Amino acid sequence: MKKSLFITLAVAMSVMLLTGIAGAKELNFALSGSPDSLDPHKTSGTLTFQTLKSVYDTLAEPDQTGKIVPALAEKWDISADGLTWTFTLRKGVVFHNNDKLTSQDVKATFERIQNKETGSPNANEFAPITSIETPDDTTVVLTLSAPSAPLLGTLASGWGAILPQSLIASNHDFAAEPVGTGPFKMTQWIRDGKIVLEKNKNYWMKGLPKLDKVTMHIIPERAVQVQGLISGQVDVSYLVDHEDEPLLNSSPDVEVNKVLTSLILVMPMNCSRPPLDNPKVRQAITHAIDKQKVLDVAHGGGKPIGTFMDYGNAYYKDFTDLYPYDPAKAKKLLAEAGVDKDREFEMFLPQNYPPHVKAGEIYQAMLTKVGLNVKIKLVDWSTWIGDVYKKAKYDFTVIGHTGKLDPNGTLANYGTVKRYVRWDNPKAAELIATAAKTDGFENRKKLYDQALQIMAEEAPFMYLGSSYRRIGTRKNVSDFRMTPSLDTFDFRWTDVK
Amino acid sequence: MIPGDPALTIAGVDAAESDIQAIRAKLGTDKPMLNQYLEWIWDVFRFDFGTSLTSGRPVSDLIMERFPLTLTLAVLGILLSIVIAIPLGVISAVRRWSFWDYLGMLFSQAGMAIPSFWLGILLLMLLSIKYRVFPLFGSGSINHLILPSISLGIARAAVLLRLTRASMVEELSKEYVITARAKGLTERMVNYKHALRNALLPVITIAGIQLGYMLGGAIIIEQVFSLPGLGRLFLFAVYQRDFPLIQGGVVFVAFVFSFINFAVDILYSVLNPKIRIS
Repeated sequence: MKKSLFITLAVAMSVMLLTGIAGAKELNFALSGSPDSLDPHKTSGTLTFQTLKSVYDTLAEPDQTGKIVPALAEKWDISADGLTWTFTLRKGVVFHNNDKLTSQDVKATFERIQNKETGSPNANEFAPITSIETPDDTTVVLTLSAPSAPLLGTLASGWGAILPQSLIASNHDFAAEPVGTGPFKMTQWIRDGKIVLEKNKNYWMKGLPKLDKVTMHIIPERAVQVQGLISGQVDVSYLVDHEDEPLLNSSPDVEVNKVLTSLILVMPMNCSRPPLDNPKVRQAITHAIDKQKVLDVAHGGGKPIGTFMDYGNAYYKDFTDLYPYDPAKAKKLLAEAGVDKDREFEMFLPQNYPPHVKAGEIYQAMLTKVGLNVKIKLVDWSTWIGDVYKKAKYDFTVIGHTGKLDPNGTLANYGTVKRYVRWDNPKAAELIATAAKTDGFENRKKLYDQALQIMAEEAPFMYLGSSYRRIGTRKNVSDFRMTPSLDTFDFRWTDVK
Repeated sequence: MIPGDPALTIAGVDAAESDIQAIRAKLGTDKPMLNQYLEWIWDVFRFDFGTSLTSGRPVSDLIMERFPLTLTLAVLGILLSIVIAIPLGVISAVRRWSFWDYLGMLFSQAGMAIPSFWLGILLLMLLSIKYRVFPLFGSGSINHLILPSISLGIARAAVLLRLTRASMVEELSKEYVITARAKGLTERMVNYKHALRNALLPVITIAGIQLGYMLGGAIIIEQVFSLPGLGRLFLFAVYQRDFPLIQGGVVFVAFVFSFINFAVDILYSVLNPKIRIS
């Protein structure tokens, strides 16, 4: 009797052990490139924030609908004048190095971002904060110089990641070894090779993450990602090209999900260069482009937008009927404006983005049809940012603006010549600036509606639309999420069968 | 001067002007070009290659992290090409216009015509997807390097084969070969002891140069096989205007190249007694 009990126990234990090992859930994820640095306060790289979403937490975060909800802060309270923000931190949160999260960590983090020596690309977004008080371990009080509606979006973005104060003080190399409170710890990073994330067993969300391990394989070649998905060596690929969709759909083990991105795809026009300074010419150009066709051919489908806001955004307003595709009308408007037939327009295309290059080639053909002389120039990314974006040395260019958690991130400074379209419209600029200081969705939406209407009518851009993202997953993978607007990977709910 | 500003690449499109200036000040790229260059030269003389602008890590660490992989790949590639090229080249020369000669010529024509990245993709499709002999991506074991080194090796083998054949044919028509045959030496002795040794000199030179090139990284092959080698490191450094990393990379490649040339010179004296004596 005793012996049989012993055997039963032994068997039960070994079964538990075995299932423990067999049940280790691992996800193989295909990443298209390697982040440069894993310090959330020293880069603007999309890949960095996409990776770090799993390692760090922020005070607040966007949920799946894009609404900003509590994360490390349990709740917050904004004073009536909008100048005092009080955050109450969640209790029992620990960093990967076992430090307990306190208000000191939040203070040290924000001071690090504001410090000029850090050289944070986002320091300006934290500029409204004039003082950070920590009355006790779980309370942080921010004092602002002026009301700032966009600040909450900043605190919920990747660059608001909270770092442990002890390691900030000891000058830890966060660029190589991130230490946060996030659902996973980074245990290995081979640059241009792979990034290994392992489950944080002390994560503050009960029962999450579901995976034990995520291996992000850096696979630059599209065809290899696709074959990896089909053969099962890759579980998720988040950037499937529309041309690979039929091949993936023909595999019984893979499914491709299409979601609308928060991209604002545009063809900017330099409003400081005649004849593009004439709104009539810009409207004519907008009439000359068949937007749906360009979306279909260059981006594999999408939704046209008629103004400078992404289609899925809560602040989006539809102006697509304003200047529909109408080459005859375009020709007529151009003749009325008296555009010189010999004027040569330069269109700068960023060669590292093949869809923009393809779109640019179609634009060129469509503009030629209405009698404009357009020359294409391919430039690399550094040249594009330096010459086109910063110095506005261009007539036309093609680009996509990524969505932002707060509309001010998208619209700030438009209507002034600071922005690269060099479009001067004091009324629009005033509306945008007022909206940034205004509280409440309804109040802000009224102001943004007017600003977006002016931007639609005056057409400093030819607005193309928002394209789709195709995520390829093996069928045994469930609930891989991407954060709205921020486009970061969220593996917390992801599971493999 | 290359257009572009590393601070802008780091800051991204949405950064405020004040933040961009802070980054420039931190990187030191706000100083005059000449100052930056002289400072860099001074540091290089003290074997300090500076820190990468985008990743904030020492340039020497970044290079040394990648070097073992690139070195293994290059050595495997060159060994493979030598193993294929020299025997085939010698047989082609000794038995000119035979079946082996035609086979060698065919191989060398094909090897030179096929781009190595395309061969790489074909190899992946056959040996990683259809028959799962080798991994599709990743690094860390020798298995990951077999297919890339074959892709790299075949193209080099094609060149070396032609060279071996031409060089061997030339040696065999020289007078000392006739003398050797007149002395009554066996054909084997004449071919391998006398002619081959002399014929190998230009082959070794070219193989050395090719090894030097491969040690600078093989951008396209690294891309196809998802390998973290030097090629991709330097390529992205150029894209991002990471000046210290580009400069460090150039110095490193130049150093490796000179070292290989030096090693080849030493190898000459081993192979050719004439050089040893003079």
